[in-house]
Amino acid sequence: MIRHIIRKEFTDIVRDGRFRWCSILVGALLLVALGHGWVQARNAQQEHAAAQATARDHWETQGEKNPHSAAHYGIYAFKPRLALSFVDEGVDPYTGTSVWLEAHRQNDFLLRPAQDATAAQRIGVLTAAQVLQHLVPLLIILLTFGAFAGERESGTLRQLLASGIGRRELAAGKALGVSGALALMLVPAALVGAAALVVGSPGPAASPLARGVVLAGVYLAYFTVFLALSLAVSAWARSARTALVILLGVWVVNGLVAPRVAVDLSKWLHPTPSAIEFARTIEREMASGAGDISPPDRDASTERLLAEYGVEQVEDLPINAVGVYLQESEEFGNRIFDRNYSALWDTFERQGVVHETLAVAAPLLAVRTLSMGLAGTDVEQHRHFATAAETYRRDLMRRMNGDMAENSRTGDFSYAADSELWESVPPLQYAAPTLGWVLGNRILSLLVLGTWLVGTVLVAAARVRRAEVG
Amino acid sequence: MHTAESRAGHAPLLEARGLSKDYGDTRALDSLDLAIAPGDVYCLLGPNGAGKTTTINLFLGFVAPSGGQALVSGLDVSTHDRETKQQLAYIPEQVMLYRNLSGLENLEYFAALGGRGSLGRGRLADILVEAGLEPDAVDRRVSDYSKGMRQKVGIAIAMAKEAAVLLLDEPTSGLDPKASNEFSALVERLRERGVAVLMATHDLFRAKDTGTRVGIMRYGRLVTELSTDEIGHADLERIYLEHMHD
Repeated sequence: MIRHIIRKEFTDIVRDGRFRWCSILVGALLLVALGHGWVQARNAQQEHAAAQATARDHWETQGEKNPHSAAHYGIYAFKPRLALSFVDEGVDPYTGTSVWLEAHRQNDFLLRPAQDATAAQRIGVLTAAQVLQHLVPLLIILLTFGAFAGERESGTLRQLLASGIGRRELAAGKALGVSGALALMLVPAALVGAAALVVGSPGPAASPLARGVVLAGVYLAYFTVFLALSLAVSAWARSARTALVILLGVWVVNGLVAPRVAVDLSKWLHPTPSAIEFARTIEREMASGAGDISPPDRDASTERLLAEYGVEQVEDLPINAVGVYLQESEEFGNRIFDRNYSALWDTFERQGVVHETLAVAAPLLAVRTLSMGLAGTDVEQHRHFATAAETYRRDLMRRMNGDMAENSRTGDFSYAADSELWESVPPLQYAAPTLGWVLGNRILSLLVLGTWLVGTVLVAAARVRRAEVG
Repeated sequence: MHTAESRAGHAPLLEARGLSKDYGDTRALDSLDLAIAPGDVYCLLGPNGAGKTTTINLFLGFVAPSGGQALVSGLDVSTHDRETKQQLAYIPEQVMLYRNLSGLENLEYFAALGGRGSLGRGRLADILVEAGLEPDAVDRRVSDYSKGMRQKVGIAIAMAKEAAVLLLDEPTSGLDPKASNEFSALVERLRERGVAVLMATHDLFRAKDTGTRVGIMRYGRLVTELSTDEIGHADLERIYLEHMHD
């Protein structure tokens, strides 16, 4: 019996001119956003690859020079775009994608890390994620608000229920009928997205297909939440107009109010320093240390080396004491950077937890977090790359300082290494996080979205069961 | 025209036993006892608020009784919602259909929901014509149907369902005399097939002409019950007015 309801609902919706125009509009926006995102991601990836190759070439062909000069010469590292970043660009536009790796400094990614780069600032940018998170739920509301209230007003609900159909069967049939109509728009977009993923993956593979499947599941769950919510309100409301007003209110709170509240509340609960404050703190601590982290003492370092090698004069040391001291300075700086950047990243993470927690009031917050995570464009995956780049920088500095210490003598400023040393430094090989790592970081959002899904379906079932005939 | 004997010996298909319904402090229906056998057309007369539609809603299971029982083929509506509805067809004052579907598609849909999904489109189109719809209207969207045409689709839905019981709530209200006569003729044909009909109406003439029995309701109570064979139009009008002025 339910298949008759599905077929009728599907036919009814598809024949409705309002649906046709709305779905054409939303579908076109979705396809344009996917296409535009994919082209942008591919171009960015190609530019990054070209720039990375150029940077490597510059590094290898920098000519003969002292290794510490080479350390200052440095090299750029470029954050790769992951395969699904064309669906959701997340915080990428605000965090930057390249970093200069040089001696003594952990540089910021183009945009200073202390700057507030929360995702709410993205409103206004058309991405596939924006269409899926905002416009598709609106379309679901417009298709579903009259499911019961409209039938009640028009009098068809009495005839339907008099025919022997149960309220829940009717609701399930309507939900599936609406889903079928939506599938006309979403399935082609999903196929285009999958093709873009398979045929022209713009980024390094980090389980892109598995991530894509989970991402599709997240959005399906989100749409089901709106479908169930719309059915529940439609079954409860006295009139179709009331149902529409309530559901539009939910849509506004979910899509516009809650994200803004989440940004402000998270900043209030877990404030971050301004970029200037952050830079000054690092500068101050680099000069005088912080807590139990003290700057290295050059004389003490030299004394230790003299004792270790059993010689009286630095000239008699078999190594360059300056190289050793420079490495000690690096390690001191690393501890200062770790202390400050860890605190900053941890603050960002705590702000993220506030967003995830507030998703109990607005499912968009959970979906947005999951979407960025699966697309590889969230703060955590930016941190993942930043950590990898910093680890690479530290290894690079160790190699330069080590070469200087081992192959020259204290006071010998004429020592110069050549391309053999530069080429011996392996390029940065970044492995993007696995799907398990991403989902492990997003347990809270998964739980909240799951709760929304189960909760709204149960509420819809309860409301539909008690729906008045009118 | 109709005889009480024709209905003798049949168990009632529709029965109310002390059926009551309260809405808050208001008693909408008060201890209604009623039995309608196959081939019986029972017309409920009464002013607005007399309890006619409440009675129909109780038989449809749309509202729960405050007391008593509503039975269809001996089954309590409260506990056998699906089974009882399978035997019912319902035609309201205004048959509301889906505007984006044709008359045939509407019938196809409601017939399928009523468990008659096996009927082919050809047979359903025949039923629509049999119910009085012009053949060229069958495949037209119902958005441009008149009320009379929609009522005919309503009758076709009942015919396709082959329901044993027909509940009619002011079915001829707003219809022109010709359409009303056509509607009454269709009800008469269903009666002849042994369908039990309960019709709520304000139309005394139609009640006398179509019904086999008439019940007059007021303030939720059935105040009198008459056989249409035993009274004339004028008698019915007089008795009705007497009760309304008590």
